[in-house]
Amino acid sequence: MWAYVVRRLLVTIPTVLAVVTICYLLLHVTPGGPFDSERKVSEAVLANLQAKYHLDLPLWKQYLLYLNDLLHGDLGASFRYADWSVNDLVARALPVSLVIGGTAMAIAVVLGVGLGILAALRQNSAVDVAVMLLGNIGSVLPSFVLGPVLVLVFAIALPWLPSGGWDDFAPRYMILPIALLTLINMSTIGRIMRGSLIEVLSSNFIRTARAKGLPMRLVVMRHALRPALLPVVSVVGPLAIASITSAIVTESWFSIPGLGKLIVNGASDRDYTLVLGLVVLVTVLAVLLNLIVDLAYAWLDPKIRY
Amino acid sequence: MSLRIVLASLLAIATAFAGAAAIPPGTVLSPRQEMVRNNGAEPESLDPAHTETVNATEIGRDLFEGLTSTDHQGNVVAGVAESWKQVDATTWVFRLRRNAVWSNGQPVTADDFLYGWRRYLDPKTASLSATIYAIYFVNGMDIVAGRKPLADLGAKALDPYTLEVKTPGPVPFLPGVMAAAQLAPQPRATIEKFGKDWTRPGNIVGNGAYVLKDWQVNSKVIVEKNPRYWDAANVQLTRVTFLCVEDSSADLKLYQSGEEDFMETLPPGAYAALKAQYPNEMRNDLLLGIRVYSLNNKDPLLKDVRVRKALSMVIDREVLAGRITADGQVPLYGLAVKGLAGAQPTRYDWADWPMDKRVAEARRLLAEAGVKPGTHLKFVYNNSDYHRKMAIFAASEWKTKLGLETDIDSLEFKVLIRKRHDGDFQIARNGWVFNVNDATILLNLAECDSDFNDDHSCNRAADALIAQAKLLDDPARREALLSQAARMMAEDYPMIPLLQYTAPRLVKPWVGGYGDSGGTDRYRSKDFYILKH
Repeated sequence: MWAYVVRRLLVTIPTVLAVVTICYLLLHVTPGGPFDSERKVSEAVLANLQAKYHLDLPLWKQYLLYLNDLLHGDLGASFRYADWSVNDLVARALPVSLVIGGTAMAIAVVLGVGLGILAALRQNSAVDVAVMLLGNIGSVLPSFVLGPVLVLVFAIALPWLPSGGWDDFAPRYMILPIALLTLINMSTIGRIMRGSLIEVLSSNFIRTARAKGLPMRLVVMRHALRPALLPVVSVVGPLAIASITSAIVTESWFSIPGLGKLIVNGASDRDYTLVLGLVVLVTVLAVLLNLIVDLAYAWLDPKIRY
Repeated sequence: MSLRIVLASLLAIATAFAGAAAIPPGTVLSPRQEMVRNNGAEPESLDPAHTETVNATEIGRDLFEGLTSTDHQGNVVAGVAESWKQVDATTWVFRLRRNAVWSNGQPVTADDFLYGWRRYLDPKTASLSATIYAIYFVNGMDIVAGRKPLADLGAKALDPYTLEVKTPGPVPFLPGVMAAAQLAPQPRATIEKFGKDWTRPGNIVGNGAYVLKDWQVNSKVIVEKNPRYWDAANVQLTRVTFLCVEDSSADLKLYQSGEEDFMETLPPGAYAALKAQYPNEMRNDLLLGIRVYSLNNKDPLLKDVRVRKALSMVIDREVLAGRITADGQVPLYGLAVKGLAGAQPTRYDWADWPMDKRVAEARRLLAEAGVKPGTHLKFVYNNSDYHRKMAIFAASEWKTKLGLETDIDSLEFKVLIRKRHDGDFQIARNGWVFNVNDATILLNLAECDSDFNDDHSCNRAADALIAQAKLLDDPARREALLSQAARMMAEDYPMIPLLQYTAPRLVKPWVGGYGDSGGTDRYRSKDFYILKH
């Protein structure tokens, strides 16, 4: 298995390279440049800026310079924020996104799987209806509707929590955004878990297990749960990446200084290095999370061996 | 020296003694002098040399103080300079106060200003805003372009506490220019020690009323009162938090839940309801700014002034201001706005005609120009609900009154500004707010080959009048020439003036010291105080 892990990690290199190259070209063909501002920038100033950021060099040279910096772990200077390098910006935003997205994901997995099992075991009961209702609400209502509802209830009607903002990981500022992301992810996970478990419970090997006289609790725990988790695991990877890197609605609604805000601002500012740096980061995260998912498959499904 | 210059100098010295905002007698202050203010987008930099946007200059002017400053009414007041005088038409002398010190206790001297200005204009610094202020110094533009060495800058220290500034032509409003965040002194030793990281909390050394306490990117900037500031006795707020919240709905929610005292701006369409809900907290002061539609004067259809005039005439600004934007902005029928220094407001003669007459005249102009009903106009704006509402209104005015069809296209902001600069548009949304109150700045919008001229218009005769006015040091004659230039430019219909901007926002009733900012929407924290509540 370790050989497999090393092989997968090595594949990350061409993946990142391909993504960076495509993104690099896309950014440069997008209309509007990093220094376009309301007032037309004079030619002298533009020349100074282009020299400072090496934009006066041929594109291929700029690209090679960027790759060279990237190899040394340097994501470059931000075009927009003169006082910060991209490394600085990422170093500040990544922990915020990891804590918010990671916590929400962990809670969502535990609650979603739990509720899914509960609903599947009591199919068509009141519990099932309640879980499904919650699941559907969470899936149907977008975060820009659920977010304001949470704020209206818990920050304005019942002034228990701040309606937004951030203060160096102070927990009171994190509760509502984590709750919002948890609700959304939990609904998806819960619905998939329920459906998958119901399907597994009706399969032949479960009937055999029950025919052997095993109590239902053991049937579920020992035989049904692992295969039922497979579809859940396949959605957890993409959901986790989305929670960490693209929770832009949650971030802007709650004014959280995470990666989503950086990505969107970077793109609209044409902050080439910032966008590229974040793309590299997201690519690496995606590859790692997919690897974890694949390893989890092997653990859950005896038919899969690496 | 002429008598006029002496009088002007005396006036300048007199204003220089007006200090921080006076608190009205009988005011009871809160024991807790702290304020939370939403400042909008994350500041791009706290380095005076790299400051460009309002978001950065608002914080920058708390951390650094230039030779002068502007108070909450927009008056030019003393900063590090305690007095200044105009020696001749193009030479100014600023006397620095001896008690101005950096936050590390070192004295602020003329050399700190020279170092700061040179670093700001240095091509190696590559400041995006360099040319905005380079124009006020002899050789400034040549230095930015790398054609002259930094040492040639038209400014020198006559002694450690006296600065002489030479301008390329007369700049009667130079003391106001010196209030700019970009022209603050810079702490050489700190910058050389820390490099790019010099503006971090803990590293930064400033000379303003506040020092940087914390900077959480994309979240907040916290400043605290600088006990070493020369006017610290008149600074009330001990701590100011600048939030970086761009979403106006989030801004409102933070205000309503009591997380902030001062909004940046209102969500679109919310003005009337919020004004009814918070009558004592709604502020809406007139700004020195114009909301316009740029017309591409080089476009085959729009190069005819009759077409441009017809398009402008039929837009009902009263309905636009009262019903469409509905946020207290003022209908605009010319270029020179109310409150502008150095020129009389301009107003088209047809502004007071009944709409029927305006429409008839506009139709006649179009017919003369050979533009038939059914002709298509191309309109672009940057994607937002606010601009879309305005665009639909304008299109319906042109359709119902002139029979013209408008193809509306929504673009991303950077794409829109590139198209405007390149002249790759027909009609485009535009708007400007000015932080230096002088007619020459506003008229620069329509000067030939100006960096601000998105209309690609040109009136050499008006330009000549402005050039002539810039050489005058007689305020009355200068104003007469600039007013005439403004009228000539307006009659060319380079753009469609629509509304004069205002700054609608909610401010908690316990925030004292909020003024109209003289139309600039710039506020120093030292002018605010918190009332007992």
